[in-house]
Amino acid sequence: MSGEEQLLVRKIDWGTVIDHIPSWKADQVLKLIEAESLTKDPDVSVIVLKSVPSRKYGRKDVIKLYHYYIKEPDAALIKLLFPTATINFIRDWKVQKYVPNLPEELVGKVRCPEVTCISNAKREPVVRRFRVLKEQGYVQCYYCDALLEISSIPDFIAA
Amino acid sequence: MSGERGAGALPRGELRGRDVVSAKDLTREDAELIFEVAREVEADPGRFSGVLRGKRVALLFVEPSTRTFSSFYIAARRLGGDVLPLNEPEMTSLSKGETLYDTLKMLEGYGVDCVVMRHPARGAARFAADVISAPVINAGSGSQEHPTQALLDVYTILKKRGKVDGTSLGMLGDLKFSRTVPSLAYLISNFDGVELTFIAPPALQVRQEVELFLRERAVSYTKVTRQQEIPDAVSRLDVLYVTRLQKERFPDPSEYERLKGSYRVDMGMLRHARPTLGVMHPLPRVDELDAEIDRTPHAWYFDQASYGLPVRMALYALVLGDAG
Repeated sequence: MSGEEQLLVRKIDWGTVIDHIPSWKADQVLKLIEAESLTKDPDVSVIVLKSVPSRKYGRKDVIKLYHYYIKEPDAALIKLLFPTATINFIRDWKVQKYVPNLPEELVGKVRCPEVTCISNAKREPVVRRFRVLKEQGYVQCYYCDALLEISSIPDFIAA
Repeated sequence: MSGERGAGALPRGELRGRDVVSAKDLTREDAELIFEVAREVEADPGRFSGVLRGKRVALLFVEPSTRTFSSFYIAARRLGGDVLPLNEPEMTSLSKGETLYDTLKMLEGYGVDCVVMRHPARGAARFAADVISAPVINAGSGSQEHPTQALLDVYTILKKRGKVDGTSLGMLGDLKFSRTVPSLAYLISNFDGVELTFIAPPALQVRQEVELFLRERAVSYTKVTRQQEIPDAVSRLDVLYVTRLQKERFPDPSEYERLKGSYRVDMGMLRHARPTLGVMHPLPRVDELDAEIDRTPHAWYFDQASYGLPVRMALYALVLGDAG
């Protein structure tokens, strides 16, 4: 983050900074990480900067997760949707860059868009699974083969 | 295919103990082995009469079925197996709200050696295969797949044409909600030089995942969406595979009403066809296939239906039979 942004939001002692999110896409990232549920913990705050100037991309969004370290599957999902996004862990004021491995499979997080899929059946103990077809721009349900565009994943985050 | 098995020798192969959930999981070798055994079954069914002796097969049909259920039932009985038919809602507790998971666990507890399952949910067969250790044979998973129908469909093409390679296959009708179309496209894509033509209005065209699969496999296919293009498309086909409008799978009944009667195969359409064109249909048909075709050499569909029995006997024998 540039000095100018730091004027907007103060530094944090520990937590996560998700930087270089495409401009106006922060809400999608918030959906991916289920940000609302994170703030059930009273120590956690979610700070969002939208459309701030960026030397590299013109404009960008930034999310700070104060007192929360993002989990690896969530980090990987962000990277899958927004390859430009960078994830930094802050530990004792120091910035540590984190590069998640891109997943071959998404487990548990995403709901199948096909309403008649067994993974959407109430009460069946189905673990949701998707194969990642990054080059084609889709994820594919392991059970029913339905395709979901990677860009639509935020609308299908399992409740 | 060798067809060199000695009398009394029972089939072996890579299929033993395997689930048959998707036609995507079947290789050309798998299909050819099944066809080889199916031919042997047709030639000498008596030789196979004890292949499933002592084996218990559960037929868990949560959706209505006549042909598929009967042929799986008769096939297992002819091979000497015990059959647990669960095809009426009151026969399982699914109608009382029991989960599929619990039903499958119960069947596993009874020591069944195989579950043949039809279920309205897409993906149900894959889920079932993960839940129980006994092989699961998918007899229809919603609008997703029907791999054993694809086996008998390709067997029909082999029997009628003498080869599957180089087949120009057109699929016409409700390609979107049909479960036989994806399975047939997946299975036949194992063969060389196959060309597929999907003939349907845009609202009923083949599903995206099928196209993706075919592109990955570099299988040549085209889509025909306009009525005026159909005669030319049909004139280039070896086989025309017709499907019924899947009324029960339309989320919106008005959409069904709008598309009802939007296609019909009759002698007028076949005027442009090669004399050797075979017309196939997974049956049941409603009004999409004119009965006039029944009396012509184009009609392959009744033979096609009859191949369900030897193909399913062969599949049971290979998945469950004791190798001799």
